[in-house]
Amino acid sequence: MPETLDVDVLVVGAGPAGLAAALRLAQLQKAHGGPPLSIAVLEKAREAGAHSLSGAVLDPSAIRELVPDGEATGIPLGTPVRRDQLYYLTERSKIRFPFVPPPLRNHGHFIVSLNELVRWLSERVEAEGVDLVTGFGGRDVLFEGARVVGVRTGDRGLARDGTKKPTFEPGVDILAKVTIFCDGVRGNLTKDVVRRLDLAEDREPEQFAIGLKELWDVAPGRLEPGTVVHTMGHPLRHDEFGGGFIYGLAGGRLSVGFVAGLDYHDPLFDPHMAFNRFKQHPFVSGLLTGGTLIRAGAKALPEGGWNTIPRPYMDGGLIAGDAGGYLNSMRLKGIHLAVRTGMLAAEAAFEAIRAGDTSAAGLKRYQDLIDASPVRAELYPVRNIHQSFGYGLFAGLAFSGLSLLTRGRWMEDLHGKAGHERLKTLAWYYGLDVPASRTSIATKIDRTLTFDKPTSVHYSGTAHEEDQPSHLLVHTELCTSVCGPEYGHPCVRFCPANVYEVVREPGHPVRLQINASNCVHCKTCDIMDPYQVITWVPPEGGGGPRYNGM
Amino acid sequence: MILVVAEQRDGTLNRATWEALAAAQQLAGEIAVKAVVFGHSVGSLAEELAPAAAEVFLVEHPLLGTYTPDAFTQALQHVVALLGPAYVVLPHSYQTRDFAPMAAVRMGAPLITDVTGLTGTGASAAFVRPMFQGKLTSEVRHQGEGPRMVTVQIGAFRADAVKKGNPGRVTRLEAPIDRAAIRQTPEAPFREAKQAVDLGQAERIVAVGRGIKAQQHIALAEALARAMSAEVAASRPICDSGWLPMDRQIGSSGQTVAPKLYVALGISGAIQHLVGMKGSRTIVAINKDADAPIFEVADYGIVGDLFEVVPALISELEKQSTDL
Repeated sequence: MPETLDVDVLVVGAGPAGLAAALRLAQLQKAHGGPPLSIAVLEKAREAGAHSLSGAVLDPSAIRELVPDGEATGIPLGTPVRRDQLYYLTERSKIRFPFVPPPLRNHGHFIVSLNELVRWLSERVEAEGVDLVTGFGGRDVLFEGARVVGVRTGDRGLARDGTKKPTFEPGVDILAKVTIFCDGVRGNLTKDVVRRLDLAEDREPEQFAIGLKELWDVAPGRLEPGTVVHTMGHPLRHDEFGGGFIYGLAGGRLSVGFVAGLDYHDPLFDPHMAFNRFKQHPFVSGLLTGGTLIRAGAKALPEGGWNTIPRPYMDGGLIAGDAGGYLNSMRLKGIHLAVRTGMLAAEAAFEAIRAGDTSAAGLKRYQDLIDASPVRAELYPVRNIHQSFGYGLFAGLAFSGLSLLTRGRWMEDLHGKAGHERLKTLAWYYGLDVPASRTSIATKIDRTLTFDKPTSVHYSGTAHEEDQPSHLLVHTELCTSVCGPEYGHPCVRFCPANVYEVVREPGHPVRLQINASNCVHCKTCDIMDPYQVITWVPPEGGGGPRYNGM
Repeated sequence: MILVVAEQRDGTLNRATWEALAAAQQLAGEIAVKAVVFGHSVGSLAEELAPAAAEVFLVEHPLLGTYTPDAFTQALQHVVALLGPAYVVLPHSYQTRDFAPMAAVRMGAPLITDVTGLTGTGASAAFVRPMFQGKLTSEVRHQGEGPRMVTVQIGAFRADAVKKGNPGRVTRLEAPIDRAAIRQTPEAPFREAKQAVDLGQAERIVAVGRGIKAQQHIALAEALARAMSAEVAASRPICDSGWLPMDRQIGSSGQTVAPKLYVALGISGAIQHLVGMKGSRTIVAINKDADAPIFEVADYGIVGDLFEVVPALISELEKQSTDL
């Protein structure tokens, strides 16, 4: 029988949503008095913020409401945005959009390090007496019937073969009146509750993208601090969703990244390679050449929008932030929505606990609060945007423009398809001419501007306890028998961290090797694998990337 | 009564026993603190404990001479049934961790482990223990009927805080121990050998990477290592495949080395490997791929097939050693 810890509210995940929820709960407790609430926040990273990765341009509206004294007390808001630029890239040149569409105008916003912002928030949260348990991931949701009663943390000290090492420590059952799931994009616990409780019934399939980001130090003056550049086009083809970004920070530092929709058709497409190709474009290489790579990372993003968000309340549970898919793909922003939904979840949980009804009926207030808040006002009008890009870049742009004019009214909802279902087989996509390179748009790695995946992993600071069971649960029997011949092992390409490797040894059958300790926790494999036979679960707590300054 | 289980090895009391006694005295309030010693020919230990306890029970049996979990569980079960203590307090040692959970289950006794502090005394006491590797502490109370078991974290209570007075009585107890129910056969204690190979001390290292292609070719690297009196090491894929043990892995998830000479065979030079060896004084790389990053750190490089180069190197080295 595992050890138990009883709390009033358990928040899973110390990202912007989870920390906003915890801080708001502490504030409500202070303002309203009454019996003290016990609040615990569970975080798989060794320290809060270590797994937080974003571009990131922050709309400060929600965080200013959460911490009104933030700017007076040193909240790291980074560099104010001074100008926006939008380009369409061809292979060798660029075309500047004559005007920047309103959703991409960032006046009054800030280029932040999400890692630093989250770290700052976590200190605030701890100062309020909230128990922040870092280095422990949520492994399983605990149910009583259809009611969420808490979360079991992962065991520590298991060897690679599953046997117990001398350091073995079993997981703990944290039991809570309300559990707020803020486990981020494709959170393993949210995924479980959504499926078990059928919370996505009648919703559109979720849509995702993968974002890759690098921090560079370049000669000052290459890009004015406060400049926000977004690009479309090259190296993506018109049926591929995504684009690049370059943000100018103070002191010659650049945040450079690339987002690729996880709904591409080409089984040989490789998002990491696309990022390399993006950096080789004369416009980008001109900014980076001679500079130094400081840090690298990758993380999936929920792109589906309003119609794909699962019902975010259940008996004993709420879902907030990226875990629920609260991201505006038209504005390329989600942090402010994570903070906002975290705050609203806290309010709903607080009222439900005080009223003594934490059932789904008692927590439905969360949905009402969202519907009356800027979250719905912002997301509803653009609910079909991502789906429209399913018809190609130009259709998507035209549709987006129309949506802006009509604010999303008088439109039939568009229906999407889960991204992994859009992936085509080699035979379908290439016919008989399957390229020998096994990666489309392949380019040469020069190790100064472009990097291979193991090098990117190195720059992500990723480390795991090596002697532990694989945290990627894969039905490998399908890999070589079916997936290899049909799709050519797409996991090898969509994983940005070289976790999946096809090993060909003379005299042995081809096998898939899983380098689990390379994993940067981006969740792309769980999302994109065409047979849905990869399940990501948290590794031993404390492992993963260290996105310091990212 | 509070019963403290003393821990001894080879006739010497474990210092943690005194810490458990200190915890028991703090817990006791008006209740008597007594102790029990399990062993064989350990009468003098009972005398040693007597000043700190109202009574010391001495349980001697040949089968308790060397620790086994089954024998100690039987002995504790018997003594607890006989004496009916309100609490059983043990030091949270490796030995306790080995047998106390089993004893608790057998007796249906609630067990609170790794206690770092306590509040209150007697039946109303609450115990403080760490959770999540010490990130949180929780206060817990026993539920249900006694005996209530407590193990005390080493170092949490002060051994020198134990109050001593007139020596308590020493009472011998017989414990029937069923030899047939002991499933373990203890062997002589030993210390695990330190890492067999200390690559950090090696003057010369021959390291192999994926270019070696198959397990049977490791022998080729070993032959080269013998010819130049070097240790064999490897990059990660080789150790992951089990072709060489993990303690021979060089790199960010293995060892960091800086020998006088480092020969890299078929190692491409991923940055994770380079961080573990780039401090070597002289680096020689043999690789088929002229673009391999290992050549960026190598002092001498041979672009070629290691299966041709290495045998030639070995025969040349052997020629030289016979010449000498």
